[in-house]
Amino acid sequence: MHESRSVDRRAMLKIAGGSVAALGLTTAGCGGGAGAGDGTVTLRYSWWGADDRAKRINETIKLFEKKFPKIKIKTDFQPYPDFWKKFNTQASGGNPPDVFQNAIGFLRKYDAKNVLLDLHPQAKAGHLRLEGFRAGLEKFGEVDGKLLGVPVGSNSMALVIDKNVYTKAGVKPEQGWTWDEFDAALKSISDKTDRAGDSGMYGVMYLYDLYLRQNGKAFFTEKSLGFTEADLKQWWEKGKKDTESGLVAPTKKVVQAKPKSAVTAELAAGEFTWDNFTNRYTAEGKSEYGLAPIPTTDGKKTGQYLGSLMLSGSKRTKHPKEVAQFIDFMVHDPEVAKIMGYDRGVPSTTSQYEAFKPTDPVAKEIAAYEESLVAAGVLEPITPHPAGADVCEMAFMRLAEEVGLGTRSVDEAVKQFFTESKTALGS
Amino acid sequence: MGTKVPGPRSAPAPSPDPAAALKRRARRENLAGYLFMSPWIAGFLLLTAGPMIASLYFAFTDYNLFDAPKWIGLANFEEMFADPRWRHSVSVTLWYVVIGTPLKLLLALGVALLLAQKRRGQGFYRAAFYAPSLIGASVSVAIVWKAIFSDDGPVDKAQRTFFGVDVGGWIGDPQWILYALVGLTVWQFGAPMVIFLAGLKQVPRELYEAAEVDGAGPWRRFWSITLPMISPVLFFNILLETIHSFQIFASAYIVGGGAGGSACGPADGSLVYTCYLYVQGFENSRMGLASAMAWMLLVAVALVTAVLFWSQKRWVHYEEGAR
Repeated sequence: MHESRSVDRRAMLKIAGGSVAALGLTTAGCGGGAGAGDGTVTLRYSWWGADDRAKRINETIKLFEKKFPKIKIKTDFQPYPDFWKKFNTQASGGNPPDVFQNAIGFLRKYDAKNVLLDLHPQAKAGHLRLEGFRAGLEKFGEVDGKLLGVPVGSNSMALVIDKNVYTKAGVKPEQGWTWDEFDAALKSISDKTDRAGDSGMYGVMYLYDLYLRQNGKAFFTEKSLGFTEADLKQWWEKGKKDTESGLVAPTKKVVQAKPKSAVTAELAAGEFTWDNFTNRYTAEGKSEYGLAPIPTTDGKKTGQYLGSLMLSGSKRTKHPKEVAQFIDFMVHDPEVAKIMGYDRGVPSTTSQYEAFKPTDPVAKEIAAYEESLVAAGVLEPITPHPAGADVCEMAFMRLAEEVGLGTRSVDEAVKQFFTESKTALGS
Repeated sequence: MGTKVPGPRSAPAPSPDPAAALKRRARRENLAGYLFMSPWIAGFLLLTAGPMIASLYFAFTDYNLFDAPKWIGLANFEEMFADPRWRHSVSVTLWYVVIGTPLKLLLALGVALLLAQKRRGQGFYRAAFYAPSLIGASVSVAIVWKAIFSDDGPVDKAQRTFFGVDVGGWIGDPQWILYALVGLTVWQFGAPMVIFLAGLKQVPRELYEAAEVDGAGPWRRFWSITLPMISPVLFFNILLETIHSFQIFASAYIVGGGAGGSACGPADGSLVYTCYLYVQGFENSRMGLASAMAWMLLVAVALVTAVLFWSQKRWVHYEEGAR
């Protein structure tokens, strides 16, 4: 206050011009990746994640630098939402990191903006091996014939449950169970225990995607949304009904509990999320957590696919060869797998998959879950999301929350979602 | 600054024409002056004026940071006014200004009146009440504030223990989160308080003495002497605090961040104007729209300021000769 008093006028101007000032600063930044005289090359590597991930990654970088003494790695990491804001600003200023963590929702977005390096030429030149990937994962980062990302691990949407509560309620989910059976399960959980059945699945974009896939649609097509206003209205009306009847935990409580999950905050017995979140819940909560299958419409099709975190290179990098070598090392080296564990999902290459044999029950459960999906033959291919998908996801989450809180009617929320999505996907 | 540096400037000019010499010297001094100011001038042009002009241009374009800005005329403004989320952010900001500013000023004035009296330990109290203003704007305090008002935080526990109501933390509640923010700004009443204190010291004692002789009670003395006498200070505080409130960003962004699907509070509960501007600019990469929003804010704040200046003729009392 004391300080801001004297800069009020300037602060006001700064707000007006702040966005542009930020842009100006980044363009003024260095080109990055400068090579020293002795042939040593420095790569900038950034990712999103928590401290624990950073510790593991830093260890793997030490291994890499030992094996490639001429390549030095400079690191940088943020939590997920901050990562993309920073990355976006850096990339727009022509100064993105040389190599960075990426995900399927961002491939088209940044390809359209000319930010991503096509790794195919590097693979042809022998700097990046595309053999030895599990379940065809090497194809996951391909967009329009360009290799824009290489998966480091795979994960899948799942129903993460509090095992004790499920046992207490006498619910035993099985592969292929239907939405009706799931609804019955929610009912017996809320009847027999002090928990709600679910944490608020109606705001989980990736779950709604699965539901749509079970019905022959999908959340995204290559360029736009793959469902109608009527579809979403139905989904959110049911969500509103279940929240009001107590089958789903009250949205207000769920929001208040954040950043803790509703499951570990003991509000709900389960939550639809990525299977590797079991790790986080186990660290966060007191109970035992496990994975249950995704409910189906026809008793078979779950709509699931393997998602994954990837490593991508920047088109602007001065050292594409070294970027490829770095990615190659990180996805194939067995020692890296031993350090990383299942932090970024189940390792994507067989050499890494075999190098890390989980000993703790949670990691074992994740591995078994993904194996069971392969065995059940339910995995489908996924088309990379259109540019703007990340903005749609944020809007979906926010508006579902508003429906749950009762601050917006279903009709209004649906309308608003389509308005915002059209803007996001159009630009 | 005050020391004299012996140098060519203090040496007598060997020029035949004293007037020309004087002119030359003046020019040289001007040049030196501008040279000393040049870091500021460069900073102002490059970091403030330049970006401002650029943002005025961007306000009329579709600009996503990557592709060249595309001129779209008034479309950004049309979209803004049609956007229910924008209108919501305006109403959140207005509530914040309308509730927070008067509360803060009332508290500042009240405490200043108490502290204006001569008592033992006044210095300590003044420092103690002023302290939150020094640290209140910082990120760390906003984080602590968030923890205090979160679920299972001290406030939530106190609600349950003392009032027996289990309504949960304020941060997760779309209505109450705004009051957590209002609380944070009101808590920083120290800065206007110090200004009030200075104003109170200026009120001539003899006015009070004369009033007491005439039989005026404390209430009457406050209304008829104190308030008119400090009205210029009051005006100054209202002006500054109002403008300041319109610009709230950091605390709303930090306290409301991560609380839900929105960047600013559950169900956009603390989506103040600048927060939404930030979301549009940096999350949705819509710098053109964000620039338009920024200029809209500037216009709105300028209007409010103009209204305040216009109104002061009616209620601000300036001592003769003071103006």
